[in-house]
Amino acid sequence: MKEKQNTLILSKGASRWRRLASFCLQGTLLVVTSLSLVAVLFIIYYIARDAWPFFQLNGLKEFFTSTHWYPSRHPEEFGALSIFVGSGLVTLTSILIAVPLGIAAAICLSDILPFHVRQMVKPVIEILAAIPSVAFGFFALVVFAPLLQSNGGTFLTIAFLIMAFPVSTIGLMIISKLLADRFKKDAKAVRIGAFLLLAAPVAWGMIRVCHILIRIPINSGTNTLNVSVILAVMALPTIVSVAEDALQSAGRELREGSYALGATRAETIFKVVIPAAGSGIIAAVILGVMRSIGETMVVWMASGNAAQIPDPWFNILQPVRTLTATIAGDMGEADQVTGSARYHVLFAMALCLLLFSFLSNLISEWIVNRSRKKLGLK
Amino acid sequence: MSIVLLAASLMILIGPIFINGSKAFIFRSTIEFRRLMLEEFARGSPERIEGEFNSCRQARQPVFAMLARFEADLDRMEYKEKSGYRKPFRELKDRLRLLLGPLPGEPEAVMLRQRFGQTRWDRALLCLREIQYQEEWDYSDSSSMGRKVYRPRIEEWRGTSIEPLFSYLSRNLDAMLNPKVTFYWRFLFDTSRDSHFFGGIWPEILGTFYLTIGTMIFAIPMGIIAAIYLAEFAREGGIVSLLRSCISTLAGVPSIVFGLFGLAFFINAVHLSRSKSVLIGSATLALLILPTIIRSSEEAIRAVPQTYKEAALSLGASPIRTVFTVIIPAALPGILTGIVISMGRAAGETAPIIFTAAVSVGNPLKIWETLSQPTPALPWNIYNLATEHEAVDQIRHVQYGMVLTLVLLVLLLNLTAILLRARVSKKLHG
Repeated sequence: MKEKQNTLILSKGASRWRRLASFCLQGTLLVVTSLSLVAVLFIIYYIARDAWPFFQLNGLKEFFTSTHWYPSRHPEEFGALSIFVGSGLVTLTSILIAVPLGIAAAICLSDILPFHVRQMVKPVIEILAAIPSVAFGFFALVVFAPLLQSNGGTFLTIAFLIMAFPVSTIGLMIISKLLADRFKKDAKAVRIGAFLLLAAPVAWGMIRVCHILIRIPINSGTNTLNVSVILAVMALPTIVSVAEDALQSAGRELREGSYALGATRAETIFKVVIPAAGSGIIAAVILGVMRSIGETMVVWMASGNAAQIPDPWFNILQPVRTLTATIAGDMGEADQVTGSARYHVLFAMALCLLLFSFLSNLISEWIVNRSRKKLGLK
Repeated sequence: MSIVLLAASLMILIGPIFINGSKAFIFRSTIEFRRLMLEEFARGSPERIEGEFNSCRQARQPVFAMLARFEADLDRMEYKEKSGYRKPFRELKDRLRLLLGPLPGEPEAVMLRQRFGQTRWDRALLCLREIQYQEEWDYSDSSSMGRKVYRPRIEEWRGTSIEPLFSYLSRNLDAMLNPKVTFYWRFLFDTSRDSHFFGGIWPEILGTFYLTIGTMIFAIPMGIIAAIYLAEFAREGGIVSLLRSCISTLAGVPSIVFGLFGLAFFINAVHLSRSKSVLIGSATLALLILPTIIRSSEEAIRAVPQTYKEAALSLGASPIRTVFTVIIPAALPGILTGIVISMGRAAGETAPIIFTAAVSVGNPLKIWETLSQPTPALPWNIYNLATEHEAVDQIRHVQYGMVLTLVLLVLLLNLTAILLRARVSKKLHG
């Protein structure tokens, strides 16, 4: 409601000329602004127009269900299932890495760290977001891939420890807390005892896993794992900044109310702030997914570009091929002018990507709007 | 913990790029480098380089003498013995050619890279190592993968006139190549020779510059006008919320799809130019960064205090005048921040320009040629040199130099943005 009063509107007493001029100006501004609408429509139309001949000729079934991707053989086969699986696998892995880290970082930034540290961390995140994707890809190909190939086991172990250590510590703390709540007497002693008792088997299990991991050989440094780690780093700034905004906008009153009821800082964060900011965090995750699935250069350079479904499907140490990399790589070989089936199949892939990004955009907008209504903001 | 990881990943990423990238600019250059500079770019004094080269040639003389003596020996050998030496001898000569340039008495080579020896001392040392050791794969342990082993080449030349060559080379490489520390700042402004084997990266830098400026020419007016409309004139309602969701949709479209759109629309449908061109690339990139510019400008305009506007209106200024004389100047630093950040984005994007503007090899364009011709550009050529070049391993320094240049460019732009924003917030909060 407040917005409306702020817009510039001529008073009733203004002359006819000024009204007309203002109307013209506003019309021009509106037309220019609509360019983004036009752009979106044109993108859909022109991508779909070039994708249509492919579906007309080859149908949907082969494209989505077959794994035979032989675009240059006679007869050509365009089974893109393995490419879809590759895109999905890369995105899933990178999101699994990026989301816990990103949300933890966002919580740190908004609720734990003092203000001046936050001021220092923000530029770091911005710089990380600004580095061009081709630089990330170059790093993945030239520095990270040889490293992974020669010391793969060590890297896997370190990565596992970095991910598992905080998670298991927090998990144990929560479990021991729940156990301790059952005892009225000596709650603190029970809590520490339970924590230590449970920590021993968990630590043993972790050491066992490390033993197995350190012996895994990595045959090719250009694989899903490499790409996912890099993509996770690239998606982190997006996730952190959007999730942090959401946590910030949960508001001071909410936190103070929680403290006033006697909740500790941890309880406030986990039971009050995160649920309140839930929709914003989900929006952050969706944005991260979109960033990962739409990224081209890193996956083109460092994913290995092998059109195959990994065996078993979750094996992230094998090379894969993604939609974006296929579009980028095959367009040079496809006949661009006459429009062969090979040319149109790439547009069909682009159409799938486009539809996916529209869908996730709609979902995230819907979630944000719903939560706004719930919180009574408009 | 996660913050530390963030900072660490930034360091891990930037560290190798900075360290290896600086080697493109500061390195120990050999006499061959100075000869190359003299012949291709006419730099340095001919007399001095000739003098240095003469002393180097003297140091090389024993090597060539050994080769000649062995060739004479070879003629006197039995057929069987001779055929055993023929292949290793040819290989040895190839390696020496790589290190020292063409051997005496050979016809001038066609390719530039064959006319000179190693221009960089670090590459020369690698070459020397390859002369002394043969890299082989040991498959004797069949249970695991093959292992790399280095076999000294000197073994197969025992008892021949070649034998002293190996120790002579390692003792006198300094004198043969005369390395000197060089600061090759012209790496940025030299054109490349022999597909980036020698020379600099000026065509790429110029191409990136053209693309970025072209993108800004398209995107800034559209972006700012849209932001003014959305922030000042639009009444919230159906159309405006549709526009807003279109802008966020546009922001979510994968960059490669923009590239395909540029190809399908600007080239194949509208025929803006006959093939790829800077113009088309810029238009495509402009669409890509439009949402960023609109959002940041709108935010900056909304951050202008209401009182400014009310004061201007109460003085009798029309809404249009208010916008252009009061609101825009007040919001300018904020708008500039957004523009600078999106400039960095436009300079670094690769996927949209693959089909619309970029070529692997090209000359620096004149400004009017940008309307119809494609250009090399930093991001695309980093990809191209790192994956598709015929001698990827030999030009790592060029690749790293390009990556460093691009990253520095983008970081500088972002630093400007951060400083600008710090100034704005100081001004607003007193």
